[in-house]
Amino acid sequence: MTSLETVRMVAAREFRERGKSRAYLISSAVTLGIILAMVVIPAVLSGRGRTFTVGVLGEGNGPILAAAEALTADDEFPTTIETVSFDDRDEASTALEEGEVDAVLVDGRELLVTTTGGFGGSDLERLLQQAASTRRIQELLTTGGAAADVVEILTAEALEVVPLRGERGEEAARRGIIAYGGLVLMYIAILSYGAWLLTGVTEEKSNRVVEVLLATMKPWQLLAGKMVGIGLLGILQFVVTLITATVAIRVTDLFDFPEIPVDLLLSMVLWFLLGYGLYSVAYGAAGSLVSRAEDAQTAAFPMTMVAVVGFFVSFRALADPSSASAVAMTFIPPVAPFVVPVRVAFGAIPLWEHAAAVAVTVGFLAVLVRLAGRVYAGALLHYGGRLKFREAFRSAEM
Amino acid sequence: MLVLDGLAKTYGPVRALDGCSFTVDRGRMIGFLGPNGAGKTTAMRAIFGLVRLDAGSVTWNGRPVTDEDRMRFGYMPEARGLYPKMKAFDQLVYLGTLHGMTRPQARAAAGRWLETLGLADRADSPVEELSHGNQQRVQLAAALVHEPELLVLDEPFSGLDPLGVETMAGILRDQADRGVAVVFSSHQLDLVEDLCEDVAIIDQGRVVLSGNVDDLKDASAYRRLDVEIEDGGEFFRHLHGVVAEETNGDRHRLLVDKGTDVRELLAEAAAAGRIRRFVYTTPSLSDLFREAVSR
Repeated sequence: MTSLETVRMVAAREFRERGKSRAYLISSAVTLGIILAMVVIPAVLSGRGRTFTVGVLGEGNGPILAAAEALTADDEFPTTIETVSFDDRDEASTALEEGEVDAVLVDGRELLVTTTGGFGGSDLERLLQQAASTRRIQELLTTGGAAADVVEILTAEALEVVPLRGERGEEAARRGIIAYGGLVLMYIAILSYGAWLLTGVTEEKSNRVVEVLLATMKPWQLLAGKMVGIGLLGILQFVVTLITATVAIRVTDLFDFPEIPVDLLLSMVLWFLLGYGLYSVAYGAAGSLVSRAEDAQTAAFPMTMVAVVGFFVSFRALADPSSASAVAMTFIPPVAPFVVPVRVAFGAIPLWEHAAAVAVTVGFLAVLVRLAGRVYAGALLHYGGRLKFREAFRSAEM
Repeated sequence: MLVLDGLAKTYGPVRALDGCSFTVDRGRMIGFLGPNGAGKTTAMRAIFGLVRLDAGSVTWNGRPVTDEDRMRFGYMPEARGLYPKMKAFDQLVYLGTLHGMTRPQARAAAGRWLETLGLADRADSPVEELSHGNQQRVQLAAALVHEPELLVLDEPFSGLDPLGVETMAGILRDQADRGVAVVFSSHQLDLVEDLCEDVAIIDQGRVVLSGNVDDLKDASAYRRLDVEIEDGGEFFRHLHGVVAEETNGDRHRLLVDKGTDVRELLAEAAAAGRIRRFVYTTPSLSDLFREAVSR
């Protein structure tokens, strides 16, 4: 039997047993529940006949507003639009700034909004765009326009959106949101699946099954098998959650689902694997130092701190992905898994830096695996109080 | 044949093993005895490569033990351990496959052992739901499921009720009869005496006595005398060659020099009072043990 077969068997057991454990099923259900709630609750709320206040300035606004109300008239909860008339643009802008109106329609052609909220604009913005297009098509039909004009109306935005603040920069906003979402997901995934490894290792030690296992395999095979098995379960939970969220968003049509750029997706998968590798190895070694589950969190505290710090400093990268600090963090392995995907999302990392960051992290991981493997090997058969890192390292057998 | 030769291991200031040597032949059962902390567990772990030895070697069939050899060894550690939430059957199948069995082989063997140990109806119970004795049985099955050539058990009898002891003893006997080399540690010397042809007694990290139990008894410098005399008083005070005695009412358990004449002893006893019981025999394993580890 080869070493890899042993690793595979350990991984398979981990996958099977943990996969049907109540803890896994509950955590998966809770995650799915949260995702569904996040998607469904706003969808339900937004269906409850909302009222918007729209400022009007100039001519030709009435038909669009009427069309907008008509569009939702058949809904279960129709949207109502109240209007406030303004005489000049400054007055309208001030009212918009102060939140007295949600948007201002100018001469049936322009839409003043506060800022570009999210991708695809706000619900009101979309509704008015749709209404304006409908209105123009109706006009076209009465005047007998050409088919080409219809196409033009359908593909272009009927209203020109003018934000009070910031650039339209829809692409940047979209990438920013994806980067933020990706960062949070990454952090949750790395920490929670790392924690499974931590408790898994301590459990094997505290219920003493580890000695039977080590009589048949090397410590590194056990550690590697657990990492792979738990990693696969984690990825499975992750993928199921993402698919559910995607489906839920499409079904409820809450907002336009952002198309995740392929480069970002690949980078996230790669850095998830690297990050999970780094943290799970470190957590595995920490877990082996203690014999009781209660002590596991304490032993893992340094790792958890590093992850938390890494998570927070990567917000700086989110704010300015090209800053010197963001570049520096790219080459600090425990932080890189959080920072690099953010920079990729903004397209703010040159290929060579990305490649170099991967190389540095892989190198660091290789050293860490040896180090952690040795601590793990030395600590597994030591029962009693918490073992010091150095003692474990010294007494390592294999 | 398993040979432990000159094993040495120090943990800080503690000498766990200090030139520990003994041999286990196939088809034989050896009792591995010693006071607490003598190094039994460390020596057993060394067989499985779980201890980095400072010196000495463990060989199987004349060659240093390899990982492949260990696939055909069975181990029941002192620190019992199984996955508490995993079903007994699944657990045995898993351990069987880790020892190189195919899944069908492992499933068949797991079923067979659960049947043999009277646990067939608990095959699908998580181990944590089994009674202590039944968990112990599953643990034994875990050591046996892959049909090992060498069986190493650390305190297999501890915590078992008399029926459990009987079952365990029967299974170990069967294994030895099938040609398996069996070594187990125990503090229950009477049990070892009944069960094993061979013993190795370890003290302070080194084997101080080892070999065939009967030979060791014969070779002992002492004999055991068990007498009961009505109102005999402390008659043994007059005897020559008494090295130890225990008195319980009229009953006396004496350890005497091997050279002492039995007839003389009998005459002295008869003179002291009416003899109810007079047994002259080789020393028990407990006697040998006490002699070997006395400091």
